[in-house]
Amino acid sequence: MKKTLYYIFALFALASCKKDFQLQDNMAITTQSFWKTAADANEGVNSIYSTYHRDALARNHYFMTILRSDEGYSTSPNTDIINTFDVFNITDYTDYLNTGVYQDDYIGINRCNQVLANVPNITMDATLKNQYLGEAYFNRGFFYYDLATLYGNVAIMLHPPTPTDYPATSPQDSVYDQAIADFTKATTLLPNSYNAANLGRATTGAAYAMLGKAYMQTHQYAQAQQAFAWLVTGPGASLYKLVPNYRSNFIETSENNSESVWEWQNALNPADSHDDDTQLSGESQLNYGTSIPPFFAPAPIGFTDGQARRWPVWEFLQETTTTGDRDPRLAATFLYDSTDVRGPDYTMAYGRTWTSLGLATDPSVAHGNTTEVCFRKELDDSTMTGEVFHSGNNYRYIRYADVLLLYAEALNAQGQTAAAYPYVDMVRERAGLAPLSTVKPGLNQSDFLNQLKHERITELTGEGHRWEDLARWGDLSTNLSYRDPSFAHFKTGRDEFMPIPQYDLDANPNLKQNPGY
Amino acid sequence: MQKFRCRALFCARGTLIKYLMMTKLAILFIVAFSTQTFAKSYGQDKNISLQLENVQLKKVFKAIENQGFFRFVYKDDALPHEQLVSISVKNASLDDVLKKILAGTPLTYHKLSDNLIAITHMPAQNRADDAPADKAPPITGKITNTKGEPLPGVTIQEKGTNNVTSTRDDGTFSIVVTSPNATLVFTYVGYQQQQIQIKDQSTINITLTPETSDLNEAVVIGYQTVRKKDLTGATGVVNMANAGKITGGTVGETLQGLVPGVTVRNQGNPGIQPTVEIRGVASFTASDPLYVVDGMLADDNPILNPNDVASVQILKDASAAAIYGSRAGNGVIIITTKHGTTGAPKISVSAKYGIQTLPKKWNVMNAADYLKTDQTEYANSGVTLPTGVQAQITNPTINTNWQDAITRTGNDQDYNVTLSGGGSGTTYFISGNYYNDQGVLIGNQYHRPSLRVNTETHKGRLTFGENVLLNTSQNYYPGGRINAFYEAPSMLPIIAVKGPQYTTIPSDPAGWGFGTNDVPTFANNYVAVANLDKIYATDSRIIGNAYAEFKFTPWLSYRFNTGAEVSFYYNKEVRDTGIWRYENQPPATSVTETRETYTNFLMEHTLNVNKTFGLHNLSAVFGFARTIDKTDFTTASATGLVTAGGTLYTTLSTAQGVPSVSGGTSVNWRQHGYLGRINYGFNDKYLLTLTGRIDEDSRFGPDKRTGYFPSAAAAWRISKELWFNVPWIDDLKIRGSYGQLGISSSLDALSSFPYLAVLNNAPRAVYGVNQTPVVGQYQAALNNPDVHWETRTEGNIGFDANILHNRVTIAADLYRSRSTGVLVQLPQPMYLGVVQQAGQYTVVNAATIENKGIELSVTYHSKEQPFKWDLEGNLTTIDNKVISVGSQGTDAQGNKVNYLQPTDFIRAEVGHSIGAWYMIKTAGIFKSQSEINSYVNKSGQMIQPNAKPGDVKYVDQNGDGQINDNDRQFVGTPWPTLQTGLQFNASYHNFTLNIQLVGIFGYKVYDDVRRVLDSYQLTNFRKDLDPWSTGNPNGKDPRLAVDQPSDPTVSINNMAQTSRWLENASYVRVRNLELGYNLPHNTWSKAGISNARVYISGQNLLTLTGYKGLDPDLVGNGILQRGFDVGNWPPSRVLSGGIQFDF
Repeated sequence: MKKTLYYIFALFALASCKKDFQLQDNMAITTQSFWKTAADANEGVNSIYSTYHRDALARNHYFMTILRSDEGYSTSPNTDIINTFDVFNITDYTDYLNTGVYQDDYIGINRCNQVLANVPNITMDATLKNQYLGEAYFNRGFFYYDLATLYGNVAIMLHPPTPTDYPATSPQDSVYDQAIADFTKATTLLPNSYNAANLGRATTGAAYAMLGKAYMQTHQYAQAQQAFAWLVTGPGASLYKLVPNYRSNFIETSENNSESVWEWQNALNPADSHDDDTQLSGESQLNYGTSIPPFFAPAPIGFTDGQARRWPVWEFLQETTTTGDRDPRLAATFLYDSTDVRGPDYTMAYGRTWTSLGLATDPSVAHGNTTEVCFRKELDDSTMTGEVFHSGNNYRYIRYADVLLLYAEALNAQGQTAAAYPYVDMVRERAGLAPLSTVKPGLNQSDFLNQLKHERITELTGEGHRWEDLARWGDLSTNLSYRDPSFAHFKTGRDEFMPIPQYDLDANPNLKQNPGY
Repeated sequence: MQKFRCRALFCARGTLIKYLMMTKLAILFIVAFSTQTFAKSYGQDKNISLQLENVQLKKVFKAIENQGFFRFVYKDDALPHEQLVSISVKNASLDDVLKKILAGTPLTYHKLSDNLIAITHMPAQNRADDAPADKAPPITGKITNTKGEPLPGVTIQEKGTNNVTSTRDDGTFSIVVTSPNATLVFTYVGYQQQQIQIKDQSTINITLTPETSDLNEAVVIGYQTVRKKDLTGATGVVNMANAGKITGGTVGETLQGLVPGVTVRNQGNPGIQPTVEIRGVASFTASDPLYVVDGMLADDNPILNPNDVASVQILKDASAAAIYGSRAGNGVIIITTKHGTTGAPKISVSAKYGIQTLPKKWNVMNAADYLKTDQTEYANSGVTLPTGVQAQITNPTINTNWQDAITRTGNDQDYNVTLSGGGSGTTYFISGNYYNDQGVLIGNQYHRPSLRVNTETHKGRLTFGENVLLNTSQNYYPGGRINAFYEAPSMLPIIAVKGPQYTTIPSDPAGWGFGTNDVPTFANNYVAVANLDKIYATDSRIIGNAYAEFKFTPWLSYRFNTGAEVSFYYNKEVRDTGIWRYENQPPATSVTETRETYTNFLMEHTLNVNKTFGLHNLSAVFGFARTIDKTDFTTASATGLVTAGGTLYTTLSTAQGVPSVSGGTSVNWRQHGYLGRINYGFNDKYLLTLTGRIDEDSRFGPDKRTGYFPSAAAAWRISKELWFNVPWIDDLKIRGSYGQLGISSSLDALSSFPYLAVLNNAPRAVYGVNQTPVVGQYQAALNNPDVHWETRTEGNIGFDANILHNRVTIAADLYRSRSTGVLVQLPQPMYLGVVQQAGQYTVVNAATIENKGIELSVTYHSKEQPFKWDLEGNLTTIDNKVISVGSQGTDAQGNKVNYLQPTDFIRAEVGHSIGAWYMIKTAGIFKSQSEINSYVNKSGQMIQPNAKPGDVKYVDQNGDGQINDNDRQFVGTPWPTLQTGLQFNASYHNFTLNIQLVGIFGYKVYDDVRRVLDSYQLTNFRKDLDPWSTGNPNGKDPRLAVDQPSDPTVSINNMAQTSRWLENASYVRVRNLELGYNLPHNTWSKAGISNARVYISGQNLLTLTGYKGLDPDLVGNGILQRGFDVGNWPPSRVLSGGIQFDF
């Protein structure tokens, strides 16, 4: 009997073999096993670019930059959209509409920080390593630039997160400084261009352009000019030129053209059903595009959650081309009853006339005066007969035209107004307008700036830069309400920035809410 | 109370032993184990020494029992309580002693065995004074037990007289009655009383059935079975007679209201499991108890046919549950299925059919009322009506009742056939069941056929057997994660369910009706969902265990138990073309198939000791248990379903779009447990239980794998003490326990290895001309290498009492538990850029939660014939309190953040319960401008200067003159302060009645569906809406207005974080009412039917509550948001009828 007991206990001992507990190996990749090869580094960088297709960056970002400014507004039945993105009436600081972009920017920053922390330790080709690090610096710079522009005073995270990170609020200028530092670093690491398979990755030119934009927003015009100069007069000048057909900058069939300085790469996944690029086991249904077209397209094609105000239309009509025609950029910018100059019966959208879409208003209202004006640049009306929920049309975040106008603005700001003329003319001439040097020669600094404001409206409306422009010029105020009634609700000292998510304030006492909220 | 007068030797020894018990337990054990000789020498001498003066007979029996070796059984009422006896003997034999003390009483004794003595009435014929005057012929007969053995000493009394006799040794009796219509009452200790009317019979042979004396009832406590009277821990034994009355698919839902300390929250979804919580919520992550079915462990409520269940025991305190160690912290529900008994094969057939209806619907407006109200609303705001709404006013064509459109009369069907029996060492129980639940919501249906085979064989020293359940469930339900209970009431009545006019809407080829630009609403068309997105899920399971037990000696046995639960889960979702909501993302048609294999293997070796020596009773179990738990899955999907010849082809290979596949091992862990329990009892009077378990779990980092879970419990049966002399108390035992348990089910919500920094490979970048997606990887969530078990430490004191001749049973418990190292998510502010999602939660063991409460159950058994009844009542209080939430940072004011906040009006704050309501309080409606003007703070500042008459008035809690989140305050709890259950069972002749009441009091529920309805925006309105207007200044609801930039207070009226949506949810419910009829025996016996019964029942017939939503019994939105009514599917009202035959 003692023997039996002995055997039983021996069996216990056998069964409790410690090998039982070593089973995590090869079930999941961990950070310990990752970050060893160039391929790992590449996948780390890939995760950064994936951020641009997340829900908020691929949709709410447009609402925030376009609708909040004076060029757009919302008549959405979803009043939260109106309150958050149009009329400056945000009551809930945890709502996804106003926190989503903030969150996505930081998810991007985390991805960049992981690359920056781990890739230096990988033994691999030095050029490629530099490129990957440069891409991480560039994108981190962009995410901070975006946060500085939209949320102003935020936390700065420069390493992979740990549970005990309680950074303090950095004022907006410091956030721009961080972006500037990252862009500067990126300019030294990135290649000037890529092969066909890698188009869309950040380039030296993109880094200089973003660097210049960051300097512009902080009114450091000399530095801005110097940064833009790389693209305008420096080594990059040969890489970029304006394309003859303005409209082709916004069509899916002509992506990554010579005017494109930095382009968010979008592709349509026909099987997509979600935008969360961390959702495991749903990768095949992940969106890789933008969902803005159905939200901006006219009813009944889209939901029309965002529309353009009427007044920018008039800006285009102030001047005709040298051949006496309407500025061609108007039709490229807006879909409305007179996108075709002959009116709604000729205006084509999605292969149908404006009239047949049921959008022609009652005959007593003169053409060109209806309120139904849609931003066209993100739409797929020239390639499709309708919109699906997502779109593969790339977002040209920085076009060369933008760089030229900013370069001119930087020169003008330093008193070099005359020197600024040629770059404005390049943009005008592509549109078929007479050179400014002919039409309005010898403008003084302030008039030239006013002229630039007009030029930027006609060239860049509906591309998401209007908010930055107004902020840079100090024009954000209730004074804008004459053309955008939403600005009657603008509260100076508060609405320059979105609120910091309450969740973060609750979690970290070192953070401060933006003023006025 | 009489003074303690005992001076006998045994008393001194008793005191000594008691002293040892209380102080030096260890010494006692050494004595008990090592000194067999002591016990033996003591035991050989069975002679009795007694010295007692003027005590009740009962005390004498007790005193003799206390010397060991002899036990007495007697009917308490039979003893002459008023008669006191004195005795002084030394080394006397039992016979001598009994003769002495029974002299002068109408009692005699029978030795049922060497040491079991029955005290009974003397046969009547021996007592001349009782002989009846009228010498009618005697009634004779024989009384046997259910095994056919004669019962000697049964008391036979002519009802209403002193005419008494008792049976002889061969079970026969003879009695002369005074009246031919007399009724004879047959009474025997341990057996149910029977009454027989003579009605001219001269021979009466009857069989007495054993009384279910609940003190001797076997209770399964995990790896061991003990008598109920020997329990030391808090163990709830479910009265299966009540549980069996409930119509439901799971065992859990049959328990509501039956056991104190057990909270059951129900849902109406077919095939869904209720939420069961034992003694409150001790974790933020998981509150599910551990289920043990015939020794098989499962964290989830198992798919089990409730009809197969023989008993359910609930281990509530640390001592009771400690044998299950790291998995027992949320309590343990031990379910034992039925087994056969030796005898002829018995076949039972039962069928039950029930009609299910939704007890309540939202009272919302029809089209005409809606249009009128909507028109008023737009007119109030000076806004033009949307064109589609205007069109319906001019030409009303549609009037849809959306709630009717999505509901139907459902049904429950439950059919059972069982075959059981046994002979020559083997018993068997075979049961077949078909259960069907067609829910009240369209598109929902659940089927479950199952088969169970339980057998057990004894051969010599070996016992072996198995319990096997085979079942397959099929569940049909709509996909899309759309909650019909939100959508249907808020959907507009002026939208048709379907119509050709809608086919022009993009992505809506079938013409489903939903919101548009012209008729704006974002409500989903659930009828469309049910048609366009269909999920079919089937789960085929084998759950079973096999065991072998070998008895080395009568007191030592070894048991090997091995079991497996294997589940083959298959889920298929077919998404047809079309959308069901305004601004829906139109998806590609697709088919998605998921196959999952779940395996759970268990292997246990246990040694059981069970030994009585003298007055000492020792039982113990030691063992080792090993668990392997693993889930593998494969998911494949393809877009582009093809329709050919009008048929939609829905297989992966017929789809022509983009295919995709993923798979892996989602769960994989091992656990080793070393367990042990020692129960020691001295003379049934002092009971001690020591339990411990050491668990190792692979889900933790190498340093955190091992956990120790010890506990101790003691009980003292005061009623056994000689000095205890309260005649109306039959049995009184007080208990105390203390110990530690682990909560590991919370890990199921995490991943298999929460300590590892796992990469996420879901991101995709697109580059280049081709823009093909390429994989991105990074660590998306934070990991915590130190994560380990949550620990629950619990103390319990209680008592069990049987009083008033065992008619009343009382159990009461008072407990306090503290969970430490509770897993909590650190605040992961968005600036960290991390995500939290399934399999990627980042948690730390940092919080502390306390639960304390009182549990009381009282049962009254009335044993009178023919109207027999019993009444059980119980009450539970659970006081849940957060003690610490770990380091959650500091708030803007520099105060330490001492709360978790799942949404901005629900908090788990230190000093409050989990999920407490933290809101801005409302104070009615502003009736006039002057009321607005006079609503000022101390410094005279207007608090709501922008408000208009008819707006909601909010309480400026901090007095700063404005309303914002800083005005939130605690306004209630989602946890009931008092939970009660009441069950009444009665039988009268062939009729039976069962009534079950549940009463839940003192909690508040957030009515989110009403919040949507009363927002007035993009939704239908409540029919009983009473909006303020100049013409209706006393209106209870805010003014009707459109939310627009020029009228910002409309959205302020609708703020979610206010008490406007909070309601008192206390309720009393008639949970079940059943009326049964046992068909008279002779009607059916020719057909071979031994028993036949028909019944009708109503479940959830009546609910008394002030709650305005559909039902106050709700599961809520997870543990942290238990009281959040997110469109909870209410439990159905079920009207059933059933029949049951035994052959």
